[in-house]
Amino acid sequence: MSMELQFPNTQVNSELQHEITQFLYHEAYLLDHHMYQEWHDLLTDDIIYRMPLRVTTERRDGSNIVDDMTYFEETKKSLETRVKRLYTKSAWVEDPRTRQRHYITNIMIKPGANSDEYNVRSYFYFKRSRASEHQIEEIIGEREDIIRKVDGQWRIAARTIIPDQTVLTVMNLSMFL
Amino acid sequence: MLVKDSVNKQTLQKLKEKLDKGLMPQWAVTDKDIYELERRQIFGKTWQFLGHESELKEPGSYVTRWIASDPVLLVKTNSGEIKAFLNSCTHRGAHLCTADFGKKKTFTCPYHGWSFNLEGELVGVVSGKKVYGEKMIKDEWGLRPIPKVGMYQGLIFASLDHQAMPLEDYLGDMKWYLDILLGRSDGGMEVRGVPQRWTAQANWKMTQENFASDPYHVQTNHRSTVELGISPSDPNFASYGHQIVLGNGHGLSIMTSATGKSPYKYQTLPESMWPMFQRNLSPEQNEIFSNATVFVGGMFPNLAFDSPVHGMEGEMINYLNLRIWRPLGPDKVEVWCWFLIDKAAPEEYKEKAYKSYVGSFGPSGTLEQDDTEVWARIIQVSDALMMEDKELSYNNVNNYLLGEDVFEPVENFPGPGVAYPSTYTDNLARSIQKRWFELISKGLLDEEEDSQ
Repeated sequence: MSMELQFPNTQVNSELQHEITQFLYHEAYLLDHHMYQEWHDLLTDDIIYRMPLRVTTERRDGSNIVDDMTYFEETKKSLETRVKRLYTKSAWVEDPRTRQRHYITNIMIKPGANSDEYNVRSYFYFKRSRASEHQIEEIIGEREDIIRKVDGQWRIAARTIIPDQTVLTVMNLSMFL
Repeated sequence: MLVKDSVNKQTLQKLKEKLDKGLMPQWAVTDKDIYELERRQIFGKTWQFLGHESELKEPGSYVTRWIASDPVLLVKTNSGEIKAFLNSCTHRGAHLCTADFGKKKTFTCPYHGWSFNLEGELVGVVSGKKVYGEKMIKDEWGLRPIPKVGMYQGLIFASLDHQAMPLEDYLGDMKWYLDILLGRSDGGMEVRGVPQRWTAQANWKMTQENFASDPYHVQTNHRSTVELGISPSDPNFASYGHQIVLGNGHGLSIMTSATGKSPYKYQTLPESMWPMFQRNLSPEQNEIFSNATVFVGGMFPNLAFDSPVHGMEGEMINYLNLRIWRPLGPDKVEVWCWFLIDKAAPEEYKEKAYKSYVGSFGPSGTLEQDDTEVWARIIQVSDALMMEDKELSYNNVNNYLLGEDVFEPVENFPGPGVAYPSTYTDNLARSIQKRWFELISKGLLDEEEDSQ
């Protein structure tokens, strides 16, 4: 499943690197400010949004990512259902609202399969504060995206979120990553 | 002098008096001394779910699991037998295998290199006789087997107690309902991938109750999913049907609809499978299965199941979710969540079932997210001094009086157990608490044992 993004990352110019980086920061801003509808608009109609499971395996047994089971296996439509839920009056887990930060770093870009697409890898560090709890929850990992330009606008056409923990220590995944 | 009593005969007696009235003293939910009793007398004694046979595909396949704080290595031997060992090297006790699953012929401890085969036998000792001489009898240093291992309809259980009753006796009348959920299809059920795992602020009793015996919370806690068409469309969908109290702290709710018949015949499973269900199940089991919208319940102490219909894209689809609440203290659980579907189901249906599961349960599930919120809210207040008051001078007891004097058991229910004509009742919760109390108080309340 790896896109094998090799370093040095010289295949896109700094202007494009800047544009896509700013796009991902904008996306993080929308999520951190509960602008879920606006976030949903950033996704292409054919988006594949997945979050496979990380597992502990011995090296001889190969990959430590299980693709068969996920935390997210979403289409634009199922994500719309999730987004709409957050605007109901009974999505208790986000009402009162949690406070979230998505830190997106280590952005590596290379041209994708189509001329208007780029394969983008980023690391994420997500922190969440709930009610008056002292402990801040966190989840870390990386994302493999396909970012596509549609009618002059950047859109997310695919995202695979790979967590580093085999046992998540966030009490739920009410956020999008 | 301790401000708060430790758990003694007197406090247990008072606890029992309250439980008998349908009142659960709040202090007992997360009390540290009670938790220690639970660890030893419940998790150390009862049958514990370890996994499903489909997770061990061939000889040499293994998975690692936990029974509360005991690490378990579950293997399929060369002869195809399933064995369970304490996942700890017999030399210095180090955690032997830390991988979640894999395939191996021998397990080698990274500390000094002792190695064990699939039968748990010590087969390799670094430097062997040169350092241990002729005296060492390798047979005495094999992996320590988990005292009891049993399987029912593909579910693998183990018990740390040599004296544990046979698994089939332990499951009792629950077997009749497990046959519907697990034995309806040729080839049984299969686990997809591996279990999802995450930690939650929660007490294991409350999460078990949340799944096993509490459809009443659905109407409020999961209202958003009804509004959005993820769950059946009647806001009261979870109340219709029966709650069935079985022995040993087991039981379930079988939800139907206002008419008593589910609008989702055989839970939306394809019509091509119905003749198979009719062949594999009794007429009574078919009557229940074909008219059910949701089966949700639990096996004491910490295995729960949910076989609902949900869908994120408007279409209602069935699946089976098994879960354990591994206690990590009185205020923390590690949830293990398995997705299962009929091996004989069409591939297209299996795929939809998997998506329906991911959208509804597990840590990202649109229902489960809101469950985690309320589990945590119970923990957040659990240190309150007022809850420690064991006298009834404050209203420091939880209410288990739902359905009391409202619902009487029905006669002629097609399945075994005591069936109540609504799922909105605390009868099952109270029977779970009764079993819980019997186990934690064993030997502490009994006069004869005390005088010995």
